[in-house]
Amino acid sequence: MQNAKDSFYVALRTRLVAINPERTILLRGAVRPGILVEEAEAPFPQLPNDVYVLRWLALGLDLDLGAAMAAEECEIIYQTCGTQSFGGLDRGRALSQMDEEIAAMLQPFYTPKLNYTAQPAAPMLTNVFWDEPGFTPIAINRDRLTRSAKVVVYSYQEQGE
Amino acid sequence: MAANWYSAPAPVTRRVRAYFAPVNRATQTPALFDPSEQGAFLLDAPPAPWISLGWIEGFTRKSASKTSPVLTGIPAMTLEQVRETLQAQVTLQFLSWTKLTMALATGSQHMNLLAPATGASAAADGAQAAAAVTVQTGSTATFIALNSLDAAKFAPGSIVALDVDNTGQTGFVGSPVSGAYLRAALTDVDYIRRITFNVALVSAVATAGLTLAEPLIGGAPAAGLKLQALSGFVDREGGSFYQEWSALFVMQGSQGDRVFFYYPRLQTMTSAEETPLALDAKRKGGLERVLLKGEFLALPVTDPLDGEHVLCYRSFLPAPATLV
Repeated sequence: MQNAKDSFYVALRTRLVAINPERTILLRGAVRPGILVEEAEAPFPQLPNDVYVLRWLALGLDLDLGAAMAAEECEIIYQTCGTQSFGGLDRGRALSQMDEEIAAMLQPFYTPKLNYTAQPAAPMLTNVFWDEPGFTPIAINRDRLTRSAKVVVYSYQEQGE
Repeated sequence: MAANWYSAPAPVTRRVRAYFAPVNRATQTPALFDPSEQGAFLLDAPPAPWISLGWIEGFTRKSASKTSPVLTGIPAMTLEQVRETLQAQVTLQFLSWTKLTMALATGSQHMNLLAPATGASAAADGAQAAAAVTVQTGSTATFIALNSLDAAKFAPGSIVALDVDNTGQTGFVGSPVSGAYLRAALTDVDYIRRITFNVALVSAVATAGLTLAEPLIGGAPAAGLKLQALSGFVDREGGSFYQEWSALFVMQGSQGDRVFFYYPRLQTMTSAEETPLALDAKRKGGLERVLLKGEFLALPVTDPLDGEHVLCYRSFLPAPATLV
């Protein structure tokens, strides 16, 4: 299941670089694409603005198949205060841009599964796939707008996983 | 060298993709689809002559074929089965309204509303049309060569129809798709352009001709064909013509597997019908998307492989590295 989570994250990260290469974050001394996995970083006192944070939630398993299927729920949280140059008055536009980016990042709705514990990453036999996202209403906290998109990521368990 | 494999569960798909291709009505020759040679095509770029109609909803196949037992003995016992009737139906909903989806979802001929001549008397399926202009040499599927005076009669955003004049033809008319069957000669010189499927949107106009936003279904038009602007489409409840097309439905699996349903001959079997779909399922009486509902009857072809009569071919291309 970890391979599916890794593959989903890397797929979104790769697609984000193509969609908006300027969305980056400086994290642990390195400039990276503006998307991260919450459980793979040090705990945040507050989630960073203007990047996508992947939070893994529920897990379901269907074991009555030729290959067991895992359904892992991923919440992609993003928030913005707009830009300083516009005094934050563009925060609605900034959130709309992030809405469009996440919708584009999730297409196509599948990606090959790779094993990222190997160097280089080793292709596996199956694809990781998901359905259309469910977007939450905007949460407003003073000048910060927050939204999340929930996606169920499906994968088949392969031999050795 | 060893290969890895796994046991794949049943295909998981999101939606069904539909492709249609014209049947040669005069010779009853359907369009062919060979999954062994063409099965890996890009969904957005189907092999000729297939035309993508995008994603569809509510795709349902229903076999109405009947088998019956042959009984012998006392008491009677089933000796064997025989196939008494061969019949199948397909139901679906198109997610867009286009010339082709409207035509497929109506039970009769589907007509273009040609731009009317000045002062023409009103008619339910379009008044007498403004005079057609003649296509010049040098046209392609996405460019129509015209003389400069004729080109100036069109504007970007126009929709145009191209076909021959009606000079009293009978039988199946319209090229490359038969859009109607004429039992008797008609006097309307524009009739074939009223029913033709050779229509497209004009994206740009120059003195040399019209650039089209989409290729013509008939390919590069020959010089001498005629062109008219149209404002929309009309179909009728009634009439005696049945649309007939070859159809291909594709289910794209999550693992790269594909399921094809190839119907060599599908005829529309019901009159035009729409299905409303609420944009917000929780709110009744709100905005609705109006889907075109298509119901089709599959007609048989003779498979040259063994001479059997068949209605549909279902093909499955397994995902890579799956046990079969």
